[in-house]
Amino acid sequence: MKKHDKNRNVAIIGIGQTTLSSHKEDQNQVEMVNEAVKNALADANMTLDDIDCIVHGNMELFEMQFQPDMWHALDCGSYGKEEFRITTGGTVGATLVCASDSLVASGQYDTVLCLGFEKLQEGNTTGGITNMADPLWFRNLQTGALTSSTANEMIKEFGKERVLRAAMKYRIMIDKHAMLNERAHRRLGLEYDQLENLMETSPQLVGDLRLIHMCSQSDGACAMVLTNEDRVKKGTAKPPVWIRDHETSHRGENMSNLYGAQKPKSTHRDCAEKLFMRNGITNPLEYFDVFEMYDPSAFWGLDWLREFLLLKDDEVLKLMEANEFDLDGKLPVNPSGGVIASNPIGATAMLRPAEAALQIRGDAGGHQIKKEVRHALASGFGGTLWTVMLMLEKELNW
Amino acid sequence: MAEFFGTTVADIFNTMPKRFKPEASKGVDVVIGYDCGGEGGGKWKLTVKDQAARIETVEGDLGPCTATIIASDAETFIGVTLQKIGAIDALSQGKMKVIGDTRMLMTLLPQIFVQYTVPAKKTEVTARGILSAIGERFRPDKAAGVTLKYGYDLTGEGGGQFTITIANGTCTLKEGLDADLAVKMTMEAATYVGMMTGTIDGAAAFTSGKVRIDGDMMAAAATGKYFDKYVDPNAEEAEELLSLKKITSINQRFATGPVMGKWFAGLREKKLLASVCPVCRRTLILPQEICQFCHVRTKEYVELGPEGYVTNFDLVYFASPDPLSGEVRDTPYACAWIMLEGATPEDAFAFEIKKEDLPKLKIGSRVRPTWAEKPTGSFRDILYFEIID
Repeated sequence: MKKHDKNRNVAIIGIGQTTLSSHKEDQNQVEMVNEAVKNALADANMTLDDIDCIVHGNMELFEMQFQPDMWHALDCGSYGKEEFRITTGGTVGATLVCASDSLVASGQYDTVLCLGFEKLQEGNTTGGITNMADPLWFRNLQTGALTSSTANEMIKEFGKERVLRAAMKYRIMIDKHAMLNERAHRRLGLEYDQLENLMETSPQLVGDLRLIHMCSQSDGACAMVLTNEDRVKKGTAKPPVWIRDHETSHRGENMSNLYGAQKPKSTHRDCAEKLFMRNGITNPLEYFDVFEMYDPSAFWGLDWLREFLLLKDDEVLKLMEANEFDLDGKLPVNPSGGVIASNPIGATAMLRPAEAALQIRGDAGGHQIKKEVRHALASGFGGTLWTVMLMLEKELNW
Repeated sequence: MAEFFGTTVADIFNTMPKRFKPEASKGVDVVIGYDCGGEGGGKWKLTVKDQAARIETVEGDLGPCTATIIASDAETFIGVTLQKIGAIDALSQGKMKVIGDTRMLMTLLPQIFVQYTVPAKKTEVTARGILSAIGERFRPDKAAGVTLKYGYDLTGEGGGQFTITIANGTCTLKEGLDADLAVKMTMEAATYVGMMTGTIDGAAAFTSGKVRIDGDMMAAAATGKYFDKYVDPNAEEAEELLSLKKITSINQRFATGPVMGKWFAGLREKKLLASVCPVCRRTLILPQEICQFCHVRTKEYVELGPEGYVTNFDLVYFASPDPLSGEVRDTPYACAWIMLEGATPEDAFAFEIKKEDLPKLKIGSRVRPTWAEKPTGSFRDILYFEIID
């Protein structure tokens, strides 16, 4: 296996977010981007003069604005600086952080600001996703990202009643977390006694996938400042959060393989195995104090936890049933409310490490986990079958 | 407190600090006493000095003042302030008196204070009130050709049951729920009011189960467009947020290349062709130039199917518009993953299932394609896969 040795260590020292909402009609795109950049710089107590390079990304098909980085040059701070633009689909936010980490670790830049954003209400998300499918054939069959295939498979494996209950419980847990995060978009105030009612009344979208299970479409932006170990030693405004390692898995499978009679190993499990093996993590459930996961629906949330945490059989359902993913559980999952609550896609996968880093700093506010957070895991996902994972640490001691 | 012309004397004085214009009071140094008799009256003293205004109520003697305004009753004082009663009339009738320089007061006060206006009364907004005036917001131009009957079952305080009928360019409301509604929406009356006044997001209320929709969901979603937006009479006038609307339409033309070209040519002969990996012998369908597992070029082709069985499927109830044509598909419809005969276990083929067969569609169903009469080498050559028992 290839080593991921870094020339020097890299830390997140500034985190900026906008609020995440369904419509940001009081701001245009550049103003929204600027808000996140300003918040990140203020958090780092830095100015643009301290930034050597900007790494910019979103899904440009969604707003149909080609090269939005040129439109944003003044407002994202890239004017007169070096800049990279990255588009890796739904996972772009996570890729932006990985790329920035590598740029700083390599020694090419001392301090980098990365920025992910999306104004989904300004375009057509379903159209954008459909246009990502192969235009020669599959585009004719695909409509957006709605699918019940994971629900079908889980039901086949564990039985309908148990899976539907666990998925709705996951959904309500996520909403309870989102209710504590004032930046989150969808905060519905769901209660566990609504579980059976929602299982029956929430409109069916596709098979057993209901409206309540699915992620939102949001507007919002996230920016982070990353710098090197020497700069950190000179003192930072907020405690540094170290990026220990990251891994990306996007092997050659396509949808055809995913639904064949013989399923390939998921990119999530593949990615997790590589990352954990390289870092000597034998029991991720024990090691990590929080997991900010890219969970586009309640079924995916549950199924992917099993893959990311390398769980066997029905362990994930047992953990869910025992409330172990709550804020005071064994491994709190998505204290921020995750993707189901807020999904400005180009920012979504950056919000995962951003929120994980806030947990390590103890700065998450209402949704801060009560016990100390020292080791955090974050994931990103995008179509098709593209997984990114990041490991964050409070201390530089691994 | 006695009210005249919709307000009180006290409110006129209480709003003075807010109505004061410091920039217009440079060099002004006055003390003005006010003495208003009768019910709702009282004594107040206004001090303007150093571009600041202080207003205080006074018990007993007003003390030394630059000028004093005395009104016989609250009605006169409020009437004059609101210019409903002429100041000259009140002065000449003796209902108002000024001790000191009248001319100074008449020029100075309008200069350093914004004119007092009666605060708008909060109108109580009720579900019944909003619905009873629904006809005024109806847009016959938007509802041309629409026939729709829908109902609201509003529970809790201020609730009720209502049926709205849109037909022949008119909109009628009646109490009670008809039996033949296209859709019925059930919620608390307070939720309905919140949605209409914009304090509750309709989609979120629906998602969280606060609103229940029985019947045609698309009809429910469409009801909003037949009416002008409800304007909350209590809402403060906000700055208008302008947005620009654009439609991007792109004509595209894709080369198929030799491998996909082979596939489309196969369709013309009603054949489903896979390419074969020379190393792992996988059957790649749709055919691809390279086996993504072995990283070698595929050369042979093999015909698969036509029959196969379903490994997984999406039964779609949600009618999202086809983003490529703009058309809303008939629901439900299903796209299924199919293991065709002769295929290796890694590779499934996806296609739509015949609408009439959807009720019996399950994982494991055996299926076969139905072809167009004259295949032309396009996606439309396969009409659908049907279930065979």
